[in-house]
Amino acid sequence: MSQGDRPSNEPRQALAGLRVVEFSAAMAGPWIGRFLAWCGAEVIRVESRKRPDVVRLYVPPWDRELGIQPRLSPWFTDWNAGKRFVTLDLRQPLAVELAKRLVARSDIAIENYSAGVMDKLGLGYEELQQGNGELVMLSSSGFGDTGPCRRYVTWGPNIEALSGMSRLSGFPSRECTLTQYAYPDAISALHGLVAVLAALDHRRRGGGGQYINLSQYEATVAGFGHVMMEYLALGQEPERMGNRSRSAAPHGCYPCRGEDRWCAISVATDSEWEHLCRVLGKPEWQSEPRFASLAARMEHAQALDDVIAARTRVRKDYELMTALQEAGVAAGVVQNVEDLARHDAHLAARDFFEQIEHMAKGVVTATGIPLGLRGTPGHSGRAGAGVGEDNDFVFGSLLGMTPDEVERAVAAGAIEPADEP
Amino acid sequence: MPSGPNGALSGRRVLELAGEEGAYCGKLLADLGADVIKLEPPGGDPSRGTPPRIQAGSGREESLSFLYMNTSKRGVALDLQQPEGRALFEKLASSADLVIETLAPGTLEGLGLGYENLRQANARLVLTSISGFGQTGPHRGFRSSDLVASAQGGAMHVTGEEADPPVRMAGSQAHVAAATVAAASSLIALLASSGRGEGQHVDISVQEVVASVSHICGVGKWLDDGIVSKRQGTGLFASVPSGAYPCRDGSIYLMVNRPLHWTALAEWVHEVTGNEEILDPMFEGPSSNRLPYREFLDLFISDLMSRLRVEEAYREGQNRHIAVTPVHSAAAVAKDPHLASRGFFEEVDHPTVGRLTYPGAPYRHSETPWRIYRPAPSPGQHNREVYCDELGLSEAKLRTLQAGGVI
Repeated sequence: MSQGDRPSNEPRQALAGLRVVEFSAAMAGPWIGRFLAWCGAEVIRVESRKRPDVVRLYVPPWDRELGIQPRLSPWFTDWNAGKRFVTLDLRQPLAVELAKRLVARSDIAIENYSAGVMDKLGLGYEELQQGNGELVMLSSSGFGDTGPCRRYVTWGPNIEALSGMSRLSGFPSRECTLTQYAYPDAISALHGLVAVLAALDHRRRGGGGQYINLSQYEATVAGFGHVMMEYLALGQEPERMGNRSRSAAPHGCYPCRGEDRWCAISVATDSEWEHLCRVLGKPEWQSEPRFASLAARMEHAQALDDVIAARTRVRKDYELMTALQEAGVAAGVVQNVEDLARHDAHLAARDFFEQIEHMAKGVVTATGIPLGLRGTPGHSGRAGAGVGEDNDFVFGSLLGMTPDEVERAVAAGAIEPADEP
Repeated sequence: MPSGPNGALSGRRVLELAGEEGAYCGKLLADLGADVIKLEPPGGDPSRGTPPRIQAGSGREESLSFLYMNTSKRGVALDLQQPEGRALFEKLASSADLVIETLAPGTLEGLGLGYENLRQANARLVLTSISGFGQTGPHRGFRSSDLVASAQGGAMHVTGEEADPPVRMAGSQAHVAAATVAAASSLIALLASSGRGEGQHVDISVQEVVASVSHICGVGKWLDDGIVSKRQGTGLFASVPSGAYPCRDGSIYLMVNRPLHWTALAEWVHEVTGNEEILDPMFEGPSSNRLPYREFLDLFISDLMSRLRVEEAYREGQNRHIAVTPVHSAAAVAKDPHLASRGFFEEVDHPTVGRLTYPGAPYRHSETPWRIYRPAPSPGQHNREVYCDELGLSEAKLRTLQAGGVI
């Protein structure tokens, strides 16, 4: 079993006994392993000092003088908590040999290097499955492993733009609207997770291993496919709707008292509309012809938003949300990170945020993993592991190399030295 | 008929009691070969009316999002408000691997069909519930929507322009992400169930999923730097340069995170515009070195991009190994030669709307190819197949249930 001493009364984790090897960097690949590790899988990540992961190149904003700090990035925790780390310089034949031996003893390999790199290193699926016919391997890249753009470089926001999402989202007056959180990295990693788990399910029922290729571009478009259908079926560009809906009104984000404070409100039915009018102290709106039906409210959406905003502007956001929810209207404060962590009693009651042991910081708080497995709750092992942290364990205990063999591999430069603790 | 023999999940049976919050979860599993039976109230699920719609035969209309979100599923009508409907549901659930549901928390328990009831007849069953706020906690009874979950989970606050109100992403991404997490979690629970001989209740909160997919702006970063992430246009706070830049005939998106990518970009700007300043070594290294100069460097880059067409900027940028991509319209995605060369889009025949093009595989399995097995079902299309051929009800019984409005 993987890291950490578990209390003995803890239920067995869902994926205990599963071993994963990751050849990955940034978020789109590693985030998949993060979920698997949280469920009890042993996830071993292969790194090299010659090509450090962006998340290892972290300079703490609170003390730039410290320079690059490979253990400290909060995203290193978010994407890699609970994993083991080894260092191999995969340009050395001996390192490739060791990587193969590691994969031969594993169930899953995940890679998100640039397209073609794994093949060039001699670590392509054809090669790896010779040592492990049951291997499930996922290869994830921006454009997938075939096609004219397969070697193109992308980050999450590039995919947001490429998929049509950034042009079709946001207010009509804006040409391009982006999230600050690289949404395609997350949504394509979640699709990758589904793909790997489905392959495991197939394997468990005697189907053997297989290779899975994921294009982040395609996965993001798939999750956006219902929007694409308007063009594909009717030949028209979907209009940018901002926060509006094609089947509900009012439907928007309304200002509240204070700076940058907002409450989102969705009203789908006439009875919800009636409750909203009451909570806003304007029952007379119900008798206005322009707001009398859903169709009328949609037609006069701008006027409707204006009168509502004039009423919400003087209200406190949480008070308004509570009053509307008590009246049966869907409403929610537009929360920022501080709201989520400090003021959201509901998330706190559900223990959403996780306290994780960090090897350099003591204990850190991280965003929770939202799998909701009530019977086999997961948890994150340690965060903040150094480069090569688990070389001794993985090469010694797991692969059974003698100290002499390890030393030779280090001398040859195949295994790179670990960080000082 | 259960799906063909080649899907990764063929042999798995799933009941889907879900509106549009959960339909994508069932689609993901069904396109992988699971036998997903969509249970709808008599008259059909309300999401069948979601616009935009397409004219179908005999004066009917079909919702395009419904058509997309319900591929490969079978459709059965069932009224859970009636005792006989509940008995049928229990019977179906006793032979299923998984039930996906999006009813308000407590609704299934109220009908006597909660997890504790269902596990009596089928210990291995996994019940996956998707709800706005989850099954527990003080807000469990709150109403939600894609918009409300996007707000409550922290995504809207960090999407769009600083000068604008917060805004959600198009295409109900809070629901899509939650449905994708639900599919993953269901599969994890099924794998565990095979090992333990015991299923479980999976509690997906859309709010938590939104907080999770937006964690880059989340608690870890904030506790680290004390800065509350906010909206700031198209550039990402940690990457300089990054953002959308206008070209002569549209826009491209550019992002630099690696020192080498910066060097390549600076050289390109210099070559085309003659700019010397951009070559200053002070701008080299990781993004954090360039953070104070974002606006300044944007001027230089804008100068380059404004001289180019989108296609030129895209191909030349990528030739230089810089992450440059077009800001695509839906039409541009539909016509992208790269997607065409991979055969991404699929043609699907539907009995009333005919043949349409659908977005295809989000991932490609070498041994168990992803596919769309059948178009979205019409209401109650598979009643006879499921109730008579598979549950063993007689034709007479089926007619009685139909007359009573149970199905």
